[in-house]
Formats: sequence, C-alpha cells, structure tokens
Amino acid sequence: MSAIAAKPGANAGSFQPIPSVIAIVIAIILVVVAYFLGSSGILAGGAQFVLQTFCLIILGAALIAFGVHFVPVGGAPAAMGQAPGIATGVAMLATGAGLAGLFGGAWAAELGLGVALASGAIGGALMMAITCLMVNISYVFGMGIPAASGKVLKDPITGDLQAAYKSQGTEGHGLPFISYVGGVIGGLFGGLGGTLIYIQLLDFYNVGLPALGFVGAADINMLSVGLAGIFAIGMFLVIAVLSAYNITGTIEGPHDPKFKRFPRAIVAAILASAVCGLVAMLVVALF
Amino acid sequence: MSVKVEASHDGIPHNKVMAIGAVISLVSLYIAIIGTVIGVDYLAFFGGIAAVGALIWGNSTIKKLCSYGIGTGVPSAGMLAFGSGLIALLFASALAGFSIWIVPVAALVIALIVGLFLGWISNSVLNMKIPVMTRSIAELAAVGALALMGLGVVATGTVSFTGIATIEILGVSVYNASYLGAGVIAVSFMLGAIALQHPFNACLGPGEKQDRTNMLAIECGFLSMIIMAVISFVFVSLAAAWISFVVAIIGWAVSYVKYVALSKRDAAAWLDAKPFSDKEE
Repeated sequence: MSAIAAKPGANAGSFQPIPSVIAIVIAIILVVVAYFLGSSGILAGGAQFVLQTFCLIILGAALIAFGVHFVPVGGAPAAMGQAPGIATGVAMLATGAGLAGLFGGAWAAELGLGVALASGAIGGALMMAITCLMVNISYVFGMGIPAASGKVLKDPITGDLQAAYKSQGTEGHGLPFISYVGGVIGGLFGGLGGTLIYIQLLDFYNVGLPALGFVGAADINMLSVGLAGIFAIGMFLVIAVLSAYNITGTIEGPHDPKFKRFPRAIVAAILASAVCGLVAMLVVALF
Repeated sequence: MSVKVEASHDGIPHNKVMAIGAVISLVSLYIAIIGTVIGVDYLAFFGGIAAVGALIWGNSTIKKLCSYGIGTGVPSAGMLAFGSGLIALLFASALAGFSIWIVPVAALVIALIVGLFLGWISNSVLNMKIPVMTRSIAELAAVGALALMGLGVVATGTVSFTGIATIEILGVSVYNASYLGAGVIAVSFMLGAIALQHPFNACLGPGEKQDRTNMLAIECGFLSMIIMAVISFVFVSLAAAWISFVVAIIGWAVSYVKYVALSKRDAAAWLDAKPFSDKEE
C-alpha cells in the first residue's frame, strides 16, 4: 500500500449519525417547502403533482448513489495492473453508465414511464457490460494478467479461488466475475435513477413552461426536453461525485469492504438532490 | 485524511486570486449585459473574458482543494462544480423576468448557497474532514455558474432565460433550435468543465508554478471560447460572432505562446526536435 493510499484515517468509513440526521431533517424541510410552493400556486401543477415530482427526483438520486457503489473502479493502479477494476475514476464511470442509460430512457420517454425506466436501466447496464467485457479482454489478452480479487479469498458467486492467481505486491488485478456482475448492477441502478429524474423533470416542465407564458410555438416539448436533459446531467454529476467522495478512490464491487459505506452516500444524495431539485424546479416558478 | 501536501508556494495568495477572478468575471458580464440592454450584441465577447476570469479563480480553488488528496482525482471537482453551477445558473437566468441586472449576482449567490450545502455534505455527512472543503466546493459552484454564464453569453449574447430558450428564425420564434432547446448548453457545460479541471491536473507535481498553471487556465478558457464563438454564428449577428471569434483566437494564441515560454522556463532541459536537420542536404 502506497503512502497516498494509507492516508485516509481509520474512521473514514464510519457512519456519522448527527450530520446524517441533520441532513435528513433539512431534506424533509425542503420537501415541505416544495409542497407549499405547489399548494400556493408558485409551482404549476398543484401540490400533489409537485410533491410527487420532488420525491421521485430524490428517489432517483438515491438509486444513483446506491448504484455507484457497485461499479468496480480501479483508478490509476488498475491501469498499471496493480489493482482490480476499470482503470478510471468513479465520476467518469458513473457518468458513462448513467448518461448511456439516461439517453436510452429519453428515447423511450413517450412510450410511458415503465418502458422508459426499463430502457434506461437496460441502457446503463448494457453500457457497463460492454465496458467490463472490453476491459477484461484488454487485461487478459493485452496485458497478459488473469482476473483476481485482492479483497476476498473466494469469489462470492462462482466460488473460484482468488489468491492463487494474485501476483505478489499487487492488490489483485483484472476484473473478477463478482466485479463484472457488480458493474452491470451499478449501471442498472444508475440508468434507472438518471431516467427517473429526467422523466419527472420533463413532465414537470411540460406543465410549468406553458404556465410561465412559453406558448405560441408548437415545439414547447423540445424546450422541456433540453431543460430536463441538462438538469438531469447536472444532478447526476453532483450525485456521482459525492458518491465518489464517499468511496474515496477505488472500489472492487459489492464484495469490497468499502461497499458497506453506501448508507452515508444515500443520505448525502437525498439532501443534495433535494437542494438541487428544488432549485431546478424553481426555474419555472411563477413569482 | 487531511494530510496537506503543499502543491507550491504561491506568489499570489488565494484570496487575492479569487477577488481578481470574481471582479473580472462580474464586470465583464455586466459590460455584456449593457450591450443586451442597449440592443447591440457585439459586446458578447466579454462573456469569454468573464469565463476566463472565473476559470482563474476556479483553478486556484481546485489547487487549494486538491492539495489535500481527495482520492477521486482532480477532474471530479470540475464536474461537481459545473453540475451544481449549471443548476444555479438556470435558476438565476429565470430571474431575469424581474430585471436582467440581477442575473450575474443572483447566479453567484445561489451557486454559493447550493455549494455550501454540497460542501457541508461532503465534509460532515461523508466525513471527508478536509478543512477547506466546504468553502472550496461553494467557490467551485460559483465558478461553474459564472463560467457557464460567460460561455452562454459568447454564444447567445444574453443571459436572460427567454433569450437562451428562444431563437428567431425568419421572424418566427421557435424553441427547438435555441441554446437550451437544441442542447448547445451541454457543449458549453463540457467545454467549461474540462477547461476548469485540466490546468491543475496537467501542471500538478513538485515543479508546479502558480503563473504557469494560471496561464494554462487562461489558454483553456480562450480555447473553449473559440468553439463557443463558432457556435455563436447561429445565434448572434455576423459582426458580433466574428468579433468573438477573432478575440478568442488572439487570446488563445497569446496565452499559448506565453504558456510554452513558461513551460520552457520551468523545464530542466528541452530539445527542439526537427524532422530534418537544416545543415544536412
């Protein structure tokens, strides 16, 4: 372990009860604020609609934060074949998976919520599956290293022994089966959450923009698509980077001890998406 | 976690860089808004100057934040900055319904508020325990909002929500080809985010020097402005677009030459390799 990797303190992974409770309370206050903005008519569509949109945005963000923890992120050590995972940062991988899913879901937005969410989830999962496959091909046939995890003795799914294939002085290398499965699940959750945020904002702007006075052109839907798309991307990046801060660098997948930190990231995502989501919804507020 | 590794001893302290960047950015945005109010769009190139000012500020903040080793790489900070800045920027531009003059200051204030929330989350809930984290992420959100607004001004010549959401084509105002409706804002998002995260990411290390990193930030800002100036041919008048384009090219060329000179100054040795020697026939 290098000096940089040894830097995080011993309590870096522990759950923080008091800040978490404060965060949840602030998020609940923001939900109540959104409800009153809806019932007083500042946000168009009625209190029920505003509340539903806001809560589903928060749910989408929580799904993203949960999904990010499944993705096997290797960082620079993986690029040198010294740690398992895909050789790039959390933010880049989560963005790739989430945005692939989001675009997939956006294409299917007019076919109804269920189809859109399913295609978003499958889009994200497919992107991660292809990435993991190509990563393993380049590791095995390009760099000539077998896939081996450094965190567990046996693969939790296949039961294959890992230690016999692990090179000395490394933390494992390649992309073992459990990491591959984790990557696909992570893409599934990321795409699902991103699409949920997008669809909710799209419906909201389709109601809110005509109420704001953007009428007269038949293509108001295109403006909603542009607005909802860029907001979904912005919120996705915020949630993905906050989850990356929670992981602090690299993670092997669902079997990694760092995976147990995910409740913290979900709390963070709930508050962050409540703040960002409220500001995003206020764009079409009628002051 | 909070082991600070000093990147370099700064000639100019961070607070001073921050003040310079913020003032350049806000003043340039207000000059561009004067152009909008009096009905001319050839002041749009001041948006690029605003973006460069914001990037100088953001570059110094990233340097301060990333000297603590956040474990996720420098680029993630740029993405977080623009993700949160974008949300603040669009809300602020919707406030142009009251008065167009409040938009830049509103974007700055809203971004700082959103950034303070995100910074507090990272520092307390996620237990990063980095002393400058809350302040740095708040600053980065403000930088993201100002830089994105500057790039948007280069492209469209205005900061109001109506201005960036509609475009006049043959006398008919439509939404689907506008800065927002056509998704051009996604291009400026990525151009700005990369220009923000690249300079320190490229220059970090034991030999990092403040003036060289800042010059690279300026160069990246003008490079992004070139592309926004090309896009602006769709949205603003031909003269305004050419002015933005020429200003961006000149700014980029000057900063690039200076950056190469500074790189040569800091390098241990360099070799001007040529494919063929002049002396040999």
